[in-house]
Amino acid sequence: MLEIRDLTVRYGGILALDKISITVPKEETVILVGANGAGKSSLINAIIGMVPTAGGSMTFEGVDLAKVAPSMRAGHGIGYSPEGRRVFPTMTVRDNVLAGASRIGRAAQADVYDKLATLFPMLRDKSDDLAGYLSGGQQQMVAIARAMSASPKLLLLDEPFLGLAPVWIQQISDAIRQFSKSGVTVLMTEQMAVPALKVATRGYVMRGGAILREGPVAELRSAALAEEYL
Amino acid sequence: MVEIVSAGLIGLSLGAQYALLALGFTLIFGIIGVVNFAHGGFYLLGGYVAYACVSMAGLPYPVAVLAAALATAALGYLFELLLLERVIDDHLSTLILTLGFSLVITTGIVLVFGPDAPLFQFPVQGVVRFLGIIVPLANIIVFAICFAAIGVAYALIYRTNFGRSLRALSEDRAVAEALGIRARLMFPLAFALATGLAGMTGALVTPILSLTPHAGEPVLAASFLVVILGGLGSLGGATLAAFLVGMIEAYAAVYLGGSKGALMLFVLVLIVLLVRPTGLYGRTARGA
Repeated sequence: MLEIRDLTVRYGGILALDKISITVPKEETVILVGANGAGKSSLINAIIGMVPTAGGSMTFEGVDLAKVAPSMRAGHGIGYSPEGRRVFPTMTVRDNVLAGASRIGRAAQADVYDKLATLFPMLRDKSDDLAGYLSGGQQQMVAIARAMSASPKLLLLDEPFLGLAPVWIQQISDAIRQFSKSGVTVLMTEQMAVPALKVATRGYVMRGGAILREGPVAELRSAALAEEYL
Repeated sequence: MVEIVSAGLIGLSLGAQYALLALGFTLIFGIIGVVNFAHGGFYLLGGYVAYACVSMAGLPYPVAVLAAALATAALGYLFELLLLERVIDDHLSTLILTLGFSLVITTGIVLVFGPDAPLFQFPVQGVVRFLGIIVPLANIIVFAICFAAIGVAYALIYRTNFGRSLRALSEDRAVAEALGIRARLMFPLAFALATGLAGMTGALVTPILSLTPHAGEPVLAASFLVVILGGLGSLGGATLAAFLVGMIEAYAAVYLGGSKGALMLFVLVLIVLLVRPTGLYGRTARGA
């Protein structure tokens, strides 16, 4: 579904991604793990179009993403939940979530919201609350629901567990499994490798803007690897 | 007592006019991150378009107001799309461009209509008397229309997909774009909405006050005062501040006299900014 070949990203003179290649097969949940500064978020930001690429290619369902403007990538079926949540703080929870579903009618929006609220019940309880006043875990749910409101084919989750208590991590992990069951392909980044590897099927270990290792999560979960990289 | 109520009603009328102007001004700042120095120019242009429609084309005044709103909205749309968009991420360039465009509007009006104030009167004359209070009918009509327009603007911004998308862009442009909201499509529309409101206000207010090629300058100053007091980028703050400024102006005019009233306003703004540097409901702008 998503093919990335020899992708390079630079911030001025700093090399953030050094000719990395990854494949995200359809309906799989792929995890990018690595320490802070490994290049995980740079990769997600390159896919979504937030940072320019300095080389390589990205193909989504046969479409060259270099030829698709960042604001048009959602229309091609790519949903995005950013690192640090980045909810719209002075907008209500409902408006936050439906900001990703502006292209569909009101009735369809109501259906989408109801469906997401079955996964995240707080969306129903706090629909009129301002997102800026929610807890970190609740904001993360809003950010993920916002990304899912346009019914994407590929969901990009950048550090969805960052700074969250175990109870929130469990709820979000359950939701990711549900998305996967319903046919959504997921590419997520995470520093907290242990819970992340529980929801993924394949993984890549990153360090210094390069891929160190890749494979099924069972391999990546091995104790030696965890000790060395995670 | 009659004096107090009369001044209050005039203050409400002034407040509604300022609110309509300031809504557009703060909308552009909050969403696009641009301080629009041409806002007074669009107000002025609205007044002259309405004047031309009534005096030269012989159209009814309500049609002229609508034409003024549409013409200034269309010009604002094209200005943002063709000129402002090219320098949108450079605050200094947007400042110079909008200031320059304001001068172009003023000079163009002088070239077409001449430097003197044309005779442009509100079509409805007369006053309403109630318990000894006398209020010009024109002020009541303008207040009602401005108040309704504010309601429509709020509904548009807070009750529609369009408004939600604008607010999302205002909060975090990069994330909003990643969600599929197209800034390049929305920014000209937001600009058109703001300049259309300014043009409509000009068409409504200049027949009551005055229509001269320099009528836009005090309007720009008033818009600045209102949005700084309310908090740059805040719609609610701008509306509240507009009515506050309107009331203070009206009461100061009655009880203190012209220049002291203006002084009082600036003192109030200074006090508010000392206590709350971002204004009553302010926040910081989108980064360049």
